[in-house]
Amino acid sequence: MVELFRNIINIISVAAVPLMFFVFVGWGIVRKVKVYEVFVEGAKDGFHVAIKIIPYLVAMLVAIGIFRASGAMDVVIAVLSPVSHLIGMPPETVPLAILRPLSGSGSMGLMTELMKVHGPDSFIGVLASTMYGSSETTFYVLAVYFGSVGIKNTRHALPAGIIADIFGMLGALFICRIFFGV
Amino acid sequence: MLNYVWMSLIVIGLLVGAGKDINDEVRNTYRNGIPIEATVRVEKTPTALRQTWEGDLVIPAEAFNRFYGITSSVSEIRQPVEMTTLSSGMTTISIPVDESSPEIWKEMARNSSSGNKLAGTVNSIKFSDDKSTAQVSLLLEKVNYVKLRAITKAALDYADTAVTISLGLIGVMALWLGVVKIAEEAGLLKVLTKLLTPVTSRLFPDVPADHPAVAAMIMNIAANMLGLNNAATPLGLKAMEELNKLNPKLGTATNAMCTFLVINTAGLTLIPATAIAIRAAQGSAEPGIIIGTSIFGAGCATVAGLISVKILERLPRYKKALLVDGHAPEPSNG
Repeated sequence: MVELFRNIINIISVAAVPLMFFVFVGWGIVRKVKVYEVFVEGAKDGFHVAIKIIPYLVAMLVAIGIFRASGAMDVVIAVLSPVSHLIGMPPETVPLAILRPLSGSGSMGLMTELMKVHGPDSFIGVLASTMYGSSETTFYVLAVYFGSVGIKNTRHALPAGIIADIFGMLGALFICRIFFGV
Repeated sequence: MLNYVWMSLIVIGLLVGAGKDINDEVRNTYRNGIPIEATVRVEKTPTALRQTWEGDLVIPAEAFNRFYGITSSVSEIRQPVEMTTLSSGMTTISIPVDESSPEIWKEMARNSSSGNKLAGTVNSIKFSDDKSTAQVSLLLEKVNYVKLRAITKAALDYADTAVTISLGLIGVMALWLGVVKIAEEAGLLKVLTKLLTPVTSRLFPDVPADHPAVAAMIMNIAANMLGLNNAATPLGLKAMEELNKLNPKLGTATNAMCTFLVINTAGLTLIPATAIAIRAAQGSAEPGIIIGTSIFGAGCATVAGLISVKILERLPRYKKALLVDGHAPEPSNG
């Protein structure tokens, strides 16, 4: 069942991009759109958007880089250890939960490390990969998306994003404990 | 809130880093200025051509742990070394540090002038009768301000990474913006939008149902679900651009933008491809076992995010930020 679902999704994922190109361009030709000219017209903005993101992304990544390099993560983990103990989260996975919204490459490295040490099919290995798959790099998305349109006052996006991250991690812990719990 | 989080990351980072460095300085964690005793098993003695002694540096685990005041070190320390006697009569030593070296030496090497070696001077050297071993007393290169150095390096490295990431987006951005523009001109986006109006009008009540932003958001969410990261970001940025056309107060996020962002940060995807690939690479018997659990986890995140975004947008402090010159803006017609 899982295998079938996976295969179907895999086929869709592989075919989606070529199919989209085909349908979009094909539809354009049918509707007598000057496809080449229109494509170039749209593509022109790609450069501006990418350049506009730079200052926002520099600000965000540098702050995260300083935080990680200082070893402040250990302090945060120590502060949170009573909470993680209470909800039954293995202490090894706490750094991953904190790093997940901050750094995509960092949390990927941490997940790999946990699987290397504990084995990918151990409870910690399954939980770590579920946690990784249960959320996005919130701070990165925030910087890139808002940066591209010059949004400086992000209002309630960050608190809501962090609440979503917390529930994502709790949901991952909950479901893994039910299905793979020890 | 972003201001405070951003500031906290930096201030906490700097304070913790400085605190650790002061702690290292006070406790002399790296034993600066204190000579360590070791034995060198000599393998090559100097010849007319080569001025160096080569061999293995050996320190018993117990002596090593006692010297650094640690408990976690592995068995006996055994490292290849090179000793050179300079014309001034001083003997220097160089210890290349590799994966098998003790943790504390690896950290010291990272902060040394060479980056991967421990350098030092030999205070005294006493050969055994057959010259096969030597008792040495070494003074290693001074190591200090480890964390502050690491912070400086991280700040510069990450600034570089940010630019690399942004510039890397140019090509794929241009590609998708071009393709989407064709779909827009051909009227395809309107069809897509109409199909999902019942959902989108509830999620984004401020956005007119037939606005191009809706189509871009739908395509972004679909790409995210399928794990097409390369397509999702350009489509998402296109959606932000369209949403910004409805923004009465440029520079401030609208309700629709925040809702859209939260859906993205929750990261609901049908196949968590990265995690599965790494599981497989780590030799998992069932790499795909996390598909169901990840969908559940990300589902929790999405639902919690949507509920909180809808509640938070009603709070006075977030409502106030939307006012233009103290007045509620005219409802926009797109």
